[in-house]
Amino acid sequence: MGTVDTSPGTGQETKQETENDGGSSASARGTGPDARQRRGASRRADKLPASPGLRRAGGRLLTALGVVWAAATFTFLIQALLPGDRATLLLNQLTGQVQERTAEELAPINAQYGFDDPLIVQYLRFLGDLATGNLGESYQLHKPVASVIADQIGPTILLTVASLIVAWLISVVVIVGTAKRSRPVSALASGLEAVAAGLPQYWLGVILLVVFALNLGLFPVVGGTGFAGLVLPALTLGIPLAGFLGQVTRTEFEKAMDQPFALSARMRGMGDTGVRVRHVLRHSVLPGVTLSGWALGSLFSGAVIAESIFSRPGLGKILVTAVNSRDLPVVCGIVILVAAIYVVANLLVDLAYTLIDPRLKNS
Amino acid sequence: MENRQPAYQPPADSTFRRRGRHRTAAVRTALAGSASVLALLLAGCGAGAGVAGAGEGSGEKVEGGTLRYAHLQEPPCIYGGWVQQAFLSRQVLDSLVSQTDDGKIVPWLAKSWSVSDDQKTWTFKLKDGVKFTDGTPVDAKAIADNFDYWAAGGNGTVQAHIGEYYKSAKAVDAGTVEIALKAPFTPLLSALSQGYFGIQSPTALKERTDQQNCEAPIGSGPFTVGAWKRGESVTFEKNPAYNSAPENARHQGPAYVDNIVWSFVQDNTSRFGSLASGESDAIGEVPTVDFEAAKSQYQVQQYITPGRPVTLSLNTVKGPFTDKLVRQAFAYSADRKAAVDSAFLGVVPFEGNGTVSQSTPGYNKDVVDDYPFDQAKANELLDKAGWTERNADGVRVKDGKELTIDLVFGLNSIVTTEGATALQNLQEQVKPVGFKVNLVPVTQADLFSGAYSTPDKYDATLGYWTSPHAGILYINFRQNTKAKPNYANTTFYNNAAIEKTILKANSAKTTEEANKYYAQAQQALSDEAVAVGLYTQTSSLAVQPKLKDVWLEASQGEPVFHDAYFTK
Repeated sequence: MGTVDTSPGTGQETKQETENDGGSSASARGTGPDARQRRGASRRADKLPASPGLRRAGGRLLTALGVVWAAATFTFLIQALLPGDRATLLLNQLTGQVQERTAEELAPINAQYGFDDPLIVQYLRFLGDLATGNLGESYQLHKPVASVIADQIGPTILLTVASLIVAWLISVVVIVGTAKRSRPVSALASGLEAVAAGLPQYWLGVILLVVFALNLGLFPVVGGTGFAGLVLPALTLGIPLAGFLGQVTRTEFEKAMDQPFALSARMRGMGDTGVRVRHVLRHSVLPGVTLSGWALGSLFSGAVIAESIFSRPGLGKILVTAVNSRDLPVVCGIVILVAAIYVVANLLVDLAYTLIDPRLKNS
Repeated sequence: MENRQPAYQPPADSTFRRRGRHRTAAVRTALAGSASVLALLLAGCGAGAGVAGAGEGSGEKVEGGTLRYAHLQEPPCIYGGWVQQAFLSRQVLDSLVSQTDDGKIVPWLAKSWSVSDDQKTWTFKLKDGVKFTDGTPVDAKAIADNFDYWAAGGNGTVQAHIGEYYKSAKAVDAGTVEIALKAPFTPLLSALSQGYFGIQSPTALKERTDQQNCEAPIGSGPFTVGAWKRGESVTFEKNPAYNSAPENARHQGPAYVDNIVWSFVQDNTSRFGSLASGESDAIGEVPTVDFEAAKSQYQVQQYITPGRPVTLSLNTVKGPFTDKLVRQAFAYSADRKAAVDSAFLGVVPFEGNGTVSQSTPGYNKDVVDDYPFDQAKANELLDKAGWTERNADGVRVKDGKELTIDLVFGLNSIVTTEGATALQNLQEQVKPVGFKVNLVPVTQADLFSGAYSTPDKYDATLGYWTSPHAGILYINFRQNTKAKPNYANTTFYNNAAIEKTILKANSAKTTEEANKYYAQAQQALSDEAVAVGLYTQTSSLAVQPKLKDVWLEASQGEPVFHDAYFTK
């Protein structure tokens, strides 16, 4: 039960959730007529799956909102409370200077953006806008934040997903091929994984660029958005991640190879590769899947490295520029987005758990 | 395969290039199988394209084509008061006048001009039949509207240059505009030649949104802004009706190339590499380490930015540098030329003048040697100033206080990593004399927000300011008073006599006379050692051999592509 009960929210939503929750648990218990009456004749409610899953989903939603709210608030306060003056920053950015400004110069900017209102007023205005889905307008680009993000999210998603796929491909191939083989093979592969996991992305990216784009000419130097331009950036982010995934998967994989089910599959006459791919792999990927939820978010925010080396557009670069120029609406917009992606990624991970290991569905 | 050289010479015409690349991509997607087969085939395909383009051309001019230029920084808007914006807006906007390499002013949108006897009224006669690309005529009214727009805050840098002097602008008739000044201002024409003073369509300024004017300003220039893919590139399309090139352009009439793909390639290796791979026809900001290599393969140009060089402003109102002797000692105690040469591998010149850079008309070259590397002299001055004791670390001490210098600099915004290396060299060099320098790298956001701009935040700070004339002295050294603050005076040094000399220069009858006073002011400032020169701001260009007539304009070093053409 619990998630809803322990969730921090205090507003209207919580109340509704609790009512809803009560209803579905009653029906889950299958207790008599009054539970049904309480829910009235609502057919939609009848259709709701009467399982703890719903409660969990409600709880999750609240947690998700909580995470996004916290991320937004934290970003807003950090940006607003950092030393220096935001109006000065805007003026200096416009002229490329780094000086103080006179009150007359600052007044119109303060008025335009409301910088001289009390912080609480600015914060409430910010939350109010956020609640209505208005992310505001960029101070620097004079453009709605939503469209700044919309313009840049495509290449970033492509890069993130491609890197994740690359990482999984590499680690699965290496694990299936090398785990529990002869000691030297196993040790070598495990060592390589440790090295890969420790590779600095920037260094790796430059090496890949110099070798494969500059010297061999296999890929464009200035990546752009085409497919050919995606390969090296995806490897830059994917290879270190493959190292991490490999490390967490390998132990599980080796353990599973010794399990009775692996033995019995072999006794049924299944080949070694078959056992590895069809039985053992499935048992050993769970920690890797957990890690992927985190990785998706971290790839999203780490994309900037690949983006700058390979001159790709994307949210990472926009975020760095926005942080540098303290373009608060853009920074908040992207942080909120990344928070949301973390939340969604972790939901997906949970979902993937039950698909991989059906036993978890009832636990 | 091992012997394959990078294709230095891209294929001759851009259509072929595009087709070639397309085919490669198709091959790539088709081969999702074995990695080694993929690599082999791709190398084969790439080599084929390389061979096709490797042949030496006939040198004959080709009309049209797409010029691919790779640049370092991407500003938030095309038009604005930052030099990075002038780089872009120069492609789209014309100014009233243009400055030549030797500092002469020649016609651009204005075909002639004159100044009244009291030097307070400038009259510009405009070229006939020039139109903005939205159809609005470039007439006297349009010019006056632009002056009003700047004065109302449309461009902070324009205000820094002429705000003190500008009074009003009015259209006398359609082809004559009159600019009234509060006081004579000799460097006016030079100031007007900068990208910040690019003339925009008043219709566009009035009727379009901020976003539109930010992303696609409308001028009468050789190109118009096409698509801007943020984080990637801006495309400039040729203006087929262009008829207002400056007199120092190499041809009149529309540009030869059809368009420019101006990409933003932040990474030095990638940017320079894109030339070698043939993906760029020209790049800006040639990386220091590649400069020598570039010279042997490409047409390389370097521009030394006029105005204030990259110099250390010493805080004259708080801390050890309030004492002139300590400032002078600091200047004597470092071999600044060696510090700069080793950091920049000799590519960027040392600048000993702390107030005006060597490429500026009115530069005083005599002050360069005012403070040679002389640590004996530095020690003597510090002893005289009362910093006679030293602590265990060899740092000088006076009244129990260490001779510590907090040196603030904006890493990667104002100063490149090479510049930071020069500062580290300097930090080591001044140690034997007893200075302890704390290098304080500051993020762009903190720096620009003014958090490090007040007298209590630094003893020395590094900065530069581009300007095509020595009138920059007035911007940087006009006195900073309560009634009339001047926060661009980063030394906080107030000297009425020097200000008077600068003002005399600003309002001199002739440029020669102006430069005489500017030189005097530079000498006086150097005597006071309020600013210690380090190196010049530069911009550079490396261009493929088959692309001709790309040049760097004189006011700020923006690349000009209007005359550029490809050869066979």
